[in-house]
Amino acid sequence: MGLVIRKYSYINDRVASVDGRAIPVPAGEEKFLTALYRARRVDYPRFFKMDALSKLGFLASELIFEGDASRFTPRDHVAILCFNRSSSLESDAAYQATIRHGEEYFPSPSLFVYTLPNIVTAEIAIRNRLHGETAFYVLERFDPRALVGRVGEAFQDAATRAVLVAWVESFRDSREVFMMLVEKNDTIFDLPFSVESIVELLNRGRNG
Amino acid sequence: MIAWVGDNVISSLGFTTDENYRAVLAGQSGARLHDGMGLPEPFMASLIDRERLNDEFGGGDGYTPLEKAAILSVTRAAAGTGVDLSGERVLFFFSSTKGNVFLLDGDPATLDDRVYLWRPAALVSRHFNNPNDPVVISNACISGASAQVAARRALEAGACDHAVVVGAEMLSRFIISGFQSLKALSPEPCRPFDAARAGLNLGEAAATVIYKRAGEGEAGILLARGAVRNDANHISGPSRTGEGSFLALEAALDGISPDDVAFINAHGTATPYNDRMEAIALTRAGLAAVPVNSLKAHFGHTLGAAGVVESVISARALREGTILASKGYREQEPEYPLNVATRVAPTGKRYFVKMLSGFGGCNAALLYKKVGHGTGH
Amino acid sequence: MDELILNLKREIIEVLNLEEVKPEEIEDDAPLFGEGLGLDSIDALELIVLMEKNYGIKLSDPAQGRELFKSIRVMATYIRDNRKK
Repeated sequence: MGLVIRKYSYINDRVASVDGRAIPVPAGEEKFLTALYRARRVDYPRFFKMDALSKLGFLASELIFEGDASRFTPRDHVAILCFNRSSSLESDAAYQATIRHGEEYFPSPSLFVYTLPNIVTAEIAIRNRLHGETAFYVLERFDPRALVGRVGEAFQDAATRAVLVAWVESFRDSREVFMMLVEKNDTIFDLPFSVESIVELLNRGRNG
Repeated sequence: MIAWVGDNVISSLGFTTDENYRAVLAGQSGARLHDGMGLPEPFMASLIDRERLNDEFGGGDGYTPLEKAAILSVTRAAAGTGVDLSGERVLFFFSSTKGNVFLLDGDPATLDDRVYLWRPAALVSRHFNNPNDPVVISNACISGASAQVAARRALEAGACDHAVVVGAEMLSRFIISGFQSLKALSPEPCRPFDAARAGLNLGEAAATVIYKRAGEGEAGILLARGAVRNDANHISGPSRTGEGSFLALEAALDGISPDDVAFINAHGTATPYNDRMEAIALTRAGLAAVPVNSLKAHFGHTLGAAGVVESVISARALREGTILASKGYREQEPEYPLNVATRVAPTGKRYFVKMLSGFGGCNAALLYKKVGHGTGH
Repeated sequence: MDELILNLKREIIEVLNLEEVKPEEIEDDAPLFGEGLGLDSIDALELIVLMEKNYGIKLSDPAQGRELFKSIRVMATYIRDNRKK
């Protein structure tokens, strides 16, 4: 029994795709992520409260689960594992700006709650009612071997039958998410969850 | 299953596991009212003695306090175990929520590499000449449990022969102001599970546990199981039904009778909502009669280190056949009564459960088992 | 008072990121919490910051907030009577 990629999505500042198919997003005044949210008719006002890291993860999971009839049924067999390089540094800096020395000191509770990287896993779990494992790992650099390792090991949990895994980064000029729904399967027609697949699909996503 | 090889705790109460354990047994608390860090209000917290940290670390001017505490903790955990930390079959697991975030308080134009979480983690593992990239976990307040779960899986999968799990958290203006903004802090020493509890105290710690794969008939403390589940309810508020915590307990205790559990070391932060949520989860899981304690009134809430600190102290208690008293507790909350441990008591039972919950709706339950009479040290 | 109410609505929409809500959609006397705007405990804490930052009103007890944030009109009346900036 091997692990296969059931579905995958990619989003950055300019492009979005699901299973390799580009998502049309009308150009306009709004930021790309907001335009994508509207293009998919998501209707989830919490979206606007999220930091960019959570918006990326949330939208990538929308692309994977939209149209899935069972998506809002509470279930604990889907784990969510996210990885990145910069943790929540973007929100850390935004919160830090509310407590600068010598300036007005008004620490913002709504910014502070996003100074934990795993909040993105919570936003996805809440939206899709996923009660399975959630975890956030920080890597010095993107490393598909780490994704393959941690995801493979996550299936040791007897309840876990699928893992939603993402590389989700939002800091400075680096903003992207690559998400995969990984399941156990044994058919040779499926896309294997491997270092080679991850590298190939990520590059395809980046190239729009 | 994986077996305990060595451990250490560095906290406001001491710099060795033994010193910390004896302080807890004696009912001591590291919580003091502090003024400073450029904060407008005083705060109650359990801080590591910086002078002593520098003295005992000896030199190391290039390291931040977090890195020093973590390195010192790993050094002491490994001492006498015979584990060669530079070996390629040794993997480090580093858990912290905010790492060196205090560096953001400096000049925003010069962003030090060390605010990235992987940086202090790598500095620690490379200090011991370990050739592998450390596994870095930042999963809010359950980080220390997630790190042990990850270590257990890596050992079971044969990815390494020894796992060094180190949790470290140092307080800063950033962290304390944030918890103040959430109105989560108590100005008094915290009182987990007490009816009149009024919030948490923060704390600093670095703690380490070293694991190996358990051989046949291995004696000592084993990490038998670990599970993480999400409330899927709110990004910061605990679930009103305790769903994630209940599911984690259920997974960790599957097939184990509550009668065999010596005690439950709860998260017990002493915020009104967290402790009630845990009481609901324990009641739902049929564990309300099992003795429960929280170590937060001794160490404060040490965030990303809490899972490691509290597992080490609780494992030591199980080894000694002791149930620790839950400091700060006086009066039962009527709605979901628990068997809160009010005094130190002996136990002959073989299991304990470590519970943790955190922002992001995440919850963990770890099941530890004592086998034979070995001390593991 | 009407101007204060309108300003307050705009400020709340901004600090709570109520992107798709327009000031005229918030009724002056409707409850702020519960159904409607879908606000939560973090929003309540953020409103406490707003009171202090924009109007110099310091609420030390979050329970006080629960009373004040009953409706826009209750909030605005309190601000009118107690503002320091």
